[in-house]
Amino acid sequence: MDDFFFSLVLAGISVGAVYALVALGLNLTFWTTRALNFGQGSLMMLCAMLTVHLAAQGLALLLAVLGALFIIGGLGIFIERFAVRPALKGAGSMGWVVSTLGFGIFLQGVAAKWFGAQAVAFPDILFSAQDYVSVFGQYVSLQYLVVLLVAVALILLLELFVRKTVWGQAVHAVSLDPELAGVQGIPVRRIILGSFIASSLLAGVAGLLIAQIGGTVDPAFGFDLVLLGFVAAVFGGMGSSVGALVGGLVVGLTSKLVGGYISTAAEHAIAFALLMAMLALRPQGLFGRIEVSKA
Amino acid sequence: MLEVEGLSVSYGAVQALTDVSLSAAAGSTTAVLGANGAGKSSLLRAISGIAPIGAGCIRLDGQDVTRLSPQARARHGLAHAMEGRRLFRQMNVEENLRLAWSFGARSTPWAAALEDVYARFPILAQKSRIASGLLSGGQQQMVILSCTTIRSPRVLLLDEPSLGLAPLIVRQIYAFIAGFARDSGATVVIAEQMASIALQVADRGCALRRGRVALTGTATELLRGGLAATYL
Repeated sequence: MDDFFFSLVLAGISVGAVYALVALGLNLTFWTTRALNFGQGSLMMLCAMLTVHLAAQGLALLLAVLGALFIIGGLGIFIERFAVRPALKGAGSMGWVVSTLGFGIFLQGVAAKWFGAQAVAFPDILFSAQDYVSVFGQYVSLQYLVVLLVAVALILLLELFVRKTVWGQAVHAVSLDPELAGVQGIPVRRIILGSFIASSLLAGVAGLLIAQIGGTVDPAFGFDLVLLGFVAAVFGGMGSSVGALVGGLVVGLTSKLVGGYISTAAEHAIAFALLMAMLALRPQGLFGRIEVSKA
Repeated sequence: MLEVEGLSVSYGAVQALTDVSLSAAAGSTTAVLGANGAGKSSLLRAISGIAPIGAGCIRLDGQDVTRLSPQARARHGLAHAMEGRRLFRQMNVEENLRLAWSFGARSTPWAAALEDVYARFPILAQKSRIASGLLSGGQQQMVILSCTTIRSPRVLLLDEPSLGLAPLIVRQIYAFIAGFARDSGATVVIAEQMASIALQVADRGCALRRGRVALTGTATELLRGGLAATYL
């Protein structure tokens, strides 16, 4: 096999796995509130930045990661309370698009002010960029493998949770009819809050993984990622976990292959072309269900 | 025991209920009667915490629940079958029952509770894996009644349980309600446009007109007084 092709496929799969994680994070809040948190990108950036910062203060790397994730989870609560809940007051309101995006831009500004606008080096958490394993006679970076494994594992866990546990069913119930769920004693508010925390944590993990591969973080980091994660989510079918994984991989692979063989400038363009093609041919996405409502 | 005192509900500029008081003892069945838009649903929705309460208070077994969330009230033993045959339509019958059973205090273990439901409505056992939205209206109403009674509530609110159902099914549904009221010792409140059928199972009745209590009395008094002609 051609080395160049193989390395593009690998890079595509690993960035695709990160897109899948972002898409999964978007799905989580979509399940409970039909709202998406477009501030995800800034949460990814902030999580990586905070990890670097905390580690620079002399904290052990694992603790720095946990500390950063803790803060990101807290921001998830903040976003739900102040950017999404007020925007959902009016029925059918789409105000959350602007408020979550705005909060993301705000976080980006804060990070630039605090940590500086320069890119900082991201430490090796699990493996260094020099760790390789050999697959089919080709060298594969362990970092790439870890990203893929983490993404697949999280997606499997979420699917199990939603399908097999009564809490997963309750999440589904809240998405179908929050009023009925509340009347039945399901803690609607806590489930919505939980979905925002989990979604933010997923963004944080995705941020750490991609910073690990890229090796640096800067305040602008994450913005493209959330857009491409959104493309992946819509492509795979909004709300579907398998769709998030497949969508992420398709978007990652096509953009890397197009970037490698045609032009890196076309990387993002092809992703959005995919999105438009999907919206024209199959608006519900690959694995999405058409929303049917019968009175 | 359910007590409502001086309750007012308004949606923006629209006043749905004004100064409504109602007291229903444990083990009794109360019919809330009235024409379309009289405020029956608003009253039930205010009791279960999903309508905005402007003034007044609501007590369950002597405890003030006026400021509690719907889920907290459900945990206090309140169950509400909302108007419009609300259930999780994409979920199958058993999933609906399971969810209704899972959150809050319950006296029966899941297996026994499920067996109980299927013994009472054998048709639901056959349809247990079918999406509840695909069932007939009568079967959906059976699922809803089973969902609301599966945790043995102390107060049961039913909003138009007969709406849109064939007379034969209505009789079956009301037989179930009467049986539940008799055996459980719970407080049952039924909002119903068809006064005659509701008053057959009710001990007391309360007629609403334009959001106010127009008339209260025992079921026999109301039936004798020609309530239908005057108020409905």
